[in-house]
Amino acid sequence: MSCALAVAGCSGVQSALDPAGGDAQRIYWLTVIMTVGGTLIFLLVTGLLLYAIFAAPERRAWLGGRRTIVVGGLAFPIVVLSVLLPYGLTVMRDTDVPTPGALPIEVVGEQYWWRVRYPAEQERGEFLTANELVVPVGRPVFVSVTSADVIHSFWIPNFGGKIDMIPGRINRLNFTAERPGIYRGVCAEFCGDQHARMAFDVIALEPEAFEAWRLEQVKPAREPDLPLLARGRELFRTGGCGSCHAVRGTEANGQFGPDLTHVGSRRTIGAGQFPNNIGTLAGWIANVQHIKPDARMPSYGSLTGEDLRALAGYLESLK
Amino acid sequence: MGGSRTGQVLLMLAGLIAWAVQFTAIYGVTSTLCGRGWADATLLGMEVVPMTILSATFVTLAATAVALVWSFRSYRQAKRQPVAIVDDFISHAAVLVNGLSIVVILWHGIPAFILPACA
Repeated sequence: MSCALAVAGCSGVQSALDPAGGDAQRIYWLTVIMTVGGTLIFLLVTGLLLYAIFAAPERRAWLGGRRTIVVGGLAFPIVVLSVLLPYGLTVMRDTDVPTPGALPIEVVGEQYWWRVRYPAEQERGEFLTANELVVPVGRPVFVSVTSADVIHSFWIPNFGGKIDMIPGRINRLNFTAERPGIYRGVCAEFCGDQHARMAFDVIALEPEAFEAWRLEQVKPAREPDLPLLARGRELFRTGGCGSCHAVRGTEANGQFGPDLTHVGSRRTIGAGQFPNNIGTLAGWIANVQHIKPDARMPSYGSLTGEDLRALAGYLESLK
Repeated sequence: MGGSRTGQVLLMLAGLIAWAVQFTAIYGVTSTLCGRGWADATLLGMEVVPMTILSATFVTLAATAVALVWSFRSYRQAKRQPVAIVDDFISHAAVLVNGLSIVVILWHGIPAFILPACA
């Protein structure tokens, strides 16, 4: 029963033991081989140790013989490590190979969120989003990562290994999503007090669905179609939100915080902290410093309930 | 067992010294060239980084092999005649250390054949 529960815990949206791509698969098998091999060797050594302690002196004498020491203490480790070294290096090499025709994505780690840019590709325009990576199934993805402040680490356990995000340096990572689904990436390098609240969604879509998503993302923000939403947009404008956030198609062009042009289409807010809906958006705006202290955005707790609903409603409408 | 004590100790440490030389050459050249963005630098038509790794590995491997043969000779010599316990230890250790050094030098050279120069 406990084994079944333990194995069930290995699958999921953020698990290196549930690989959804080739690189993760290779790392998974390396982990399995190392774990199983290490466990077997540990059991063997423990068994020999117990034998050496409790067996009769004449029976355990062979343990101290030269042959045992040379074979068990020298030859065996040399052979095992000589096999594991090229195997591990081969896994690393295959993981690092840039793939022609890969989808380029640029990710910048910031305290405590992810700026994501899809560069222009052929006739498709570029756009910015945040805290969410949407990728097509079956097409290699080529992610360039860096940091705007401190060292972060980009890690999507289901798709591959970690890669450091270092200010002033661009590191690269390749992966291919092999099955559609929703996964979760995290910052894997302590980057400040809110490090544990710096996650992002990874959504693997079928190629047609990905292209449709991409076409929508390139478009400017939609116009509010209800008076409440129009009021929300006006509050967004007069409240100075646009000095930090951009909403393409409006005068808001701030670059300091996440681009909000299509914030309503994202699954989560606050870098993977809450599901995205009017209630959580309103809570975030009013209490961000309570929810995520040290985030760069101040809390807007002075807004009235009606204003908060209008502002959150407007943001939620930006699909 | 012939030779001065200093010579015996040097022979015993020869493999470790060769390993240190290989390690310094490989990491020094690789980190300098990769850090300065000269990963593709070539010399006589060959890339400097893999060439350095291969030549450092080959030279230190050859030196250690010579030391191993030499230390094995000393070991056999020590087995044939009664020697002081220190000499007996050194002759044993020299074979072991030089033999293991060959393995370690090979392990350090292997990545050159598998990984890109500045991975």
